[in-house]
Amino acid sequence: MSAPFDYADAGIPVRSDLADAYRDVWARIARPGGFFTGAERIAIVEEARRARSCALCRERKEALSPESVGRQHDAHPRLSVSAVEAIHRITTDPGRLSRSWFERTTGDELSVPQYVELLGVLVASISIDAFHRAMGFTLEPLPEPVAGEPDGYQATGARMESAYVPMLPANGARGAEADLWDGSRTANVVRAMTLIPDSVRMLKRLSAAQYLQMHEVANPAATGGRAIDRAQIELVAGRVSALSECFY
Amino acid sequence: MSGQEFDVRAVTDAKAAQESGVAHAEELLAFADAAIGDDVLATAGARQALLEAMGPEAVVDTAAVAANFQRMVRIADGSGIPLDTPLELISAGVREDLELDELASEHVRPGGGAWKRVVGRVLSPVLRRALQLTRGPRAGA
Repeated sequence: MSAPFDYADAGIPVRSDLADAYRDVWARIARPGGFFTGAERIAIVEEARRARSCALCRERKEALSPESVGRQHDAHPRLSVSAVEAIHRITTDPGRLSRSWFERTTGDELSVPQYVELLGVLVASISIDAFHRAMGFTLEPLPEPVAGEPDGYQATGARMESAYVPMLPANGARGAEADLWDGSRTANVVRAMTLIPDSVRMLKRLSAAQYLQMHEVANPAATGGRAIDRAQIELVAGRVSALSECFY
Repeated sequence: MSGQEFDVRAVTDAKAAQESGVAHAEELLAFADAAIGDDVLATAGARQALLEAMGPEAVVDTAAVAANFQRMVRIADGSGIPLDTPLELISAGVREDLELDELASEHVRPGGGAWKRVVGRVLSPVLRRALQLTRGPRAGA
């Protein structure tokens, strides 16, 4: 059995830093997190893949309002109905998420820290799978879960602002979270998942390989040594964001 | 980028893409479009066209950027974060040109209307420089 993300036979040269980042994130997903076991985190990835062919999601996507379709998803053997709902909606219809949806979806079955951890695992796996689909590669098999219990860790400095979830303040990258960003300011999208700091670490790892290092982003001359120039990078980034109805 | 000027309407307008000044914009956008869809054959065709135009390394890097931003949209929408204030001001003109406010999710739809667009256009060069100096990352970080 070959190592995960072995692109030797891909027929096209794939940068080793991409494979390294994917292997690292895949291993992180398989380990117990703050509020989910390794097996549950892998189930999140499995459910995200299933969402792409979900008939209910397709029906909701075509409806004027997703809330007008009354049925709900079935629970996964390892995940609650609320967790499955969050995975499917974030995967298939993120542009129409709302605060009321968030408040309905989180609660006893899916706590806010669980939601943030779910979001971190989900978006990491979506971007890795998206790369494989774009390249015409087979999706990477799911990793084997690492045994152990969630440690319950959440960033104690996280506070409610105007987002749905608590976040560390811009000057909150200190102590155990000092590695999340440099200095006293960063973008909201970096702070978004700081309640569960490991979600931000996966984000940084993937962004550095797929796009640019965090410190390079504001420098318009930075290309990260890519084969496409910065204008081409931003053209693709803008197009994907616009087609995904991503305003941010 | 870096002193060059490009037509930002290339992001949403196919004709503008061809005239944007970005090299191989047509092939890049066709691949980006296909990459976020479900049509395997369309993706393969767009990938081959980009491969012939720019080579294998560019295909990998374009696929990686497209994958990266499929993550960022879901972080923003799933967490309900607002636009960062400097970004909101800098992007006011671009949003107007591209009619992007029509796409805004509930949580990021900016308020302020016309005055913010005017202030944004006036302050944009200054804010861009300030952000660059302070190395403040934005959405893709």
